[in-house]
Amino acid sequence: MPLLTVKQVTSGYGDMEVLHDVSIEINPQEIVTIIGPNGAGKSTLMKTIFGLLKPKVGQILFTDHEISSLSPDRIVRLGMAYVPQVENVFPSLTVRENLEMGAFIRSDDFSDRVNEMFDLFPVLGRRGRQQVGKMSGGERQMVAMARALMLNPQLILLDEPSAALAPNLAVVIFEQIVAINETGVAILIVEQNAKQSLSLSDRGYVLASGRNRFTDTGESLLANEEIGQLYLGG
Amino acid sequence: MTTLANIPQLLVYGIISGSIISLGGIGVSLTYSILGFSNFAHGDFMALGAYIALGLFTLFTGLGIPNVPFGPLSFGFGFALAFVLAIALTAIAVILIDRLLFRRLRRSGPIILMMSSIGVSLGLRNILQFFWSPQPHYYSQAIQPAVAIGILNVRIKPDEMFIIAIAIALVVLVHAFMRYTKMGKAMRAMADNATLAQVTGINTDRVIIWTWVIGAGLAATAGILAGIENKFITPQLGWQMLLSIFAGVVLGGIGNPYGAILGGMVIGISEEVSTAFISTGYKPAVAFVIMIIMLLVKPTGLLGRKD
Repeated sequence: MPLLTVKQVTSGYGDMEVLHDVSIEINPQEIVTIIGPNGAGKSTLMKTIFGLLKPKVGQILFTDHEISSLSPDRIVRLGMAYVPQVENVFPSLTVRENLEMGAFIRSDDFSDRVNEMFDLFPVLGRRGRQQVGKMSGGERQMVAMARALMLNPQLILLDEPSAALAPNLAVVIFEQIVAINETGVAILIVEQNAKQSLSLSDRGYVLASGRNRFTDTGESLLANEEIGQLYLGG
Repeated sequence: MTTLANIPQLLVYGIISGSIISLGGIGVSLTYSILGFSNFAHGDFMALGAYIALGLFTLFTGLGIPNVPFGPLSFGFGFALAFVLAIALTAIAVILIDRLLFRRLRRSGPIILMMSSIGVSLGLRNILQFFWSPQPHYYSQAIQPAVAIGILNVRIKPDEMFIIAIAIALVVLVHAFMRYTKMGKAMRAMADNATLAQVTGINTDRVIIWTWVIGAGLAATAGILAGIENKFITPQLGWQMLLSIFAGVVLGGIGNPYGAILGGMVIGISEEVSTAFISTGYKPAVAFVIMIIMLLVKPTGLLGRKD
């Protein structure tokens, strides 16, 4: 059975509805990408899943729990993590302190987990005491992902992880996403420039104007000419 | 030349008053960065602390708890006990005010919160006035001789040395708390980005309670120290200092507690040293002018971040 089920969700900001009747599913250990043009509602969907927006209609189930009325700090405790697109680190804190904040709800010793993160992101291991505000965009993205992984989540939501990164850095980030997935974590990615992301995804969804448009495996979506022209820049 | 010869002495007065302003400023700065509003009731939290200490001290004296002065200081065990308990009670009172009022308005934005803090300020001041009258009350009426230190004819009272020592100790404690404890780091994280703090799983409500505990505790301390320095307290005590405190916070860089300490010290010293050149009546104007100049020249303050 799926790890996460979003069932016919309608959501938005205030009176403005951005998502209409959207449904998606993510199975354990899958990588799923949601693509779609600017304004399609991709980020809104993530915020709704993570409890930052309340769906007006519909259900969201995560590991058998109905989570659509829960606040983000409760959802974190159920084993989901979220990396926003921007402002996803604590800039005045050091790398190590950012990771400690990721484990805030743990009262036991989590230094092993910090070391695992430093193994996964060796760049960070060498710079544990550096203030994150002074690091590059790629390094910040790594800090943000490491922070989100501190509680061993079953599912991690990544909002445009490669946005604003140089192409060679984006490649590094995607390699790390695969590495994270290989540790057993399911990953939901939202991407605008989605070829790279789809190529490593098990499945993908195309959202347009806040509605489900296509659903298929990552490969088939990449091979689909119509999608290629409309959403992947030809 | 007599005025210039007074400057070392004025510098000492400035450090004393700067210590008190700084302690008040730390709370204002934390409230601003973590809860996102300028708390106009902070001065009245100081007065509240000063009056709770007075009330407890009067009670303890009535109960026969001894207050034999510690060495050269003007107070002893009875007052010290009242001091410590007043800090705790002020923190509890402020948390209650938060639960009753500020928490309900948390989503309403900084302007509404600021306006409501003005209401709290008026309310608290009038409650103090109702119970204790607007007339001054005295912690001690004994006259304490100042002692000479150093070579510049500078004189300082033992109580004033105590004030400076307490301020330094508390600043070091707050620094250690913010730097090394999990809650202190969470406070810095929440000041950086409150939404991300929530998304990360930080218990933001607990962070807010700690912010009030530290802010109110330091405010009460500052209020009581001001009472020790001035020898008397009035319900206006904190409100009168609020301009200097805000000036210090803005000067140091709003939202940065270290800036509040530095800024408070600079304001305290400037206010006192200015009296060598202009009438004492202009002290508040000095703070105001420094604040305006800073806002014009570098609005982020001495230690403020650029973003």
